[in-house]
Amino acid sequence: MITLRNIKKSYFIGERELPILKGIDLEIRSGEFVVLMGVSGSGKTTLMNIVGLLDKQTEGEYRFMDVFINGLDDERLASMRNLHIGFVFQQFFLLPYLNAIENVLIPIVYSSKDIKHPREKSKALLSRFGLAERVYNKPSQLSGGEQQRVAIARALINEPDLILADEPTGALDSKTGGEIMDLFRILNDEGKTVIVVTHDPKLASFGKRLIRIEDGTISEDITR
Amino acid sequence: MGLYQKISRGREFLQEILKILYYYRGRVIFSFAGVALGILSICVIITTIDGANKKAKDIFEVLGPDSIMVWGGGERQRTARTRGSTLTLADAESLDSIEGVYDSVKTYYARRPTMKYKDRKWQSRIIGSTTNYFESMSWDLQAGSPFSTDDYKYARAVTVIGSKVYDELFQGEDAIGKVILAGRLPMTVVGVLKERGGGTGGAQIDDRVIMPLTTVMSRVVNDKKYLSGVRLKTNRDVNETVADVKAVLRRNHGLQGSAEDDFTIRSSQDIMKFVTVISGQLLLFLGMASIVALVVSGFVLANLFYLTIQERRKDIGIRRAYGASRRGILLSFLLESVIITLLGGIAGILLSLALGGTFETLFDIPMLFSYKVVVFSLMFSFLTGLIAGFRPALKASRIEPIEAIRG
Repeated sequence: MITLRNIKKSYFIGERELPILKGIDLEIRSGEFVVLMGVSGSGKTTLMNIVGLLDKQTEGEYRFMDVFINGLDDERLASMRNLHIGFVFQQFFLLPYLNAIENVLIPIVYSSKDIKHPREKSKALLSRFGLAERVYNKPSQLSGGEQQRVAIARALINEPDLILADEPTGALDSKTGGEIMDLFRILNDEGKTVIVVTHDPKLASFGKRLIRIEDGTISEDITR
Repeated sequence: MGLYQKISRGREFLQEILKILYYYRGRVIFSFAGVALGILSICVIITTIDGANKKAKDIFEVLGPDSIMVWGGGERQRTARTRGSTLTLADAESLDSIEGVYDSVKTYYARRPTMKYKDRKWQSRIIGSTTNYFESMSWDLQAGSPFSTDDYKYARAVTVIGSKVYDELFQGEDAIGKVILAGRLPMTVVGVLKERGGGTGGAQIDDRVIMPLTTVMSRVVNDKKYLSGVRLKTNRDVNETVADVKAVLRRNHGLQGSAEDDFTIRSSQDIMKFVTVISGQLLLFLGMASIVALVVSGFVLANLFYLTIQERRKDIGIRRAYGASRRGILLSFLLESVIITLLGGIAGILLSLALGGTFETLFDIPMLFSYKVVVFSLMFSFLTGLIAGFRPALKASRIEPIEAIRG
């Protein structure tokens, strides 16, 4: 599903080159549950952005769903993200003017997939995550854990191949965080590929595969 | 094709935009109101100009294209009331002999006495005229007949009343042969005019009482010499006839060299021209007002939008992450802006419909509402939204998802 070959990424501050990723080789197959761990500044978020088609590498080759990503234009990238990736973020990023159902429907608006009865599907997903009573609530009327579950439902509505979560438990207490991680495990058991990016060592045990990033390179890659 | 593929769920897309507008209603209201005002004035311009043109056309049709009106008093005395009595019955008769003049209606606009029939009262204008008045104005009667040449010759107290007067005094009863009091003068109704109506001037057109000129001069006003006006019809070139009329009157009145005319001549064409000039001035004045209103509201919209985008970076970032392309974002912001201005435009149209009557009575110009107004207004509001929204939308579309999400 994901093939990275010698991926490098640098930022330039004036004339000074600041390397973030220093040559990453990585293969992730369909159905894996990967925890991508690294301290702040290790380059893990940059790697996630490149994998998630939100950013472009400076050097190297990236193949996603058997498509060479190098050189795709904005329209194609947007379309690839829409069809194949469901994002979950630390800060949830729900839109304040939409209720839970409508927030879940956002990816549908831009989708060329023929999802039948999207509203019913959105409701069903929310119910499945224990939010049946909350479907018409605005984000401000939901707790952090509830908001993150709405965000996960949003990530799933368009039936993506990959769930990409960036510090999904970072804004939650450890009990709620554990519940969210359990949810990812269930989704993975159902066949979704899941990548969780985190700095929190407590989450390491949740994944089937642990990849540790240190100073822009992979320092550890353990599959259980 | 990519664009449409990106926004394949039109209904959901629109619903979201409406929710956004509702959420930001506090700001949206300003742009909305500005556009509404701008469109209101555009509506007023178009309907008024259409109305004025219609009025001019009506006048033209009633008078015919070959008509020439002559009044006593010079150009400087603006209204009929202050115009001096300078046009005499003798003048009018000498105009009849000008080459090409085949019809001449002499009129005397008398006071507005109170008319009485039984216990009903109505104040209306008395007009003294010649027997050809009705035919010349191509004005048919709904009952009775015009006064006869004998009535005219012997200055009999007979009258043909307008439909408004008939409605007020007789209220559907038979009026022919009945005697009404005009002030203290009793007169017999011989005919009732058909309603001419329409527009604002219409009520006034039907609110009149026509009597033989001789009767009015001898028994109503006691003025045997002067007339209010003469209407001529010519089968020669109108402008040439006007020149002849002018020459005859100047000679009759002993005006020489650079002495000013003490009478006023208007042809149907002059009236048309006059209305056109009025419309032009209206267009200029109200046009400027509405363009200013639209430009200002456009600026307000653009600035508020610009501010809003800063606040909505995360919103944009999340949409981009979930599959909105740059063009998708551009389109959604443009749509937001256009929806605001279109709603403003619709409000402006409704407002102009509601206020239309007030304007009519205020300026005495009839308004003619048509599909053209709606099309023009919606087009202008659409363009305002498009132009004002473009730069902010472009800025929004250039926000990179990772920057927005990182905060």
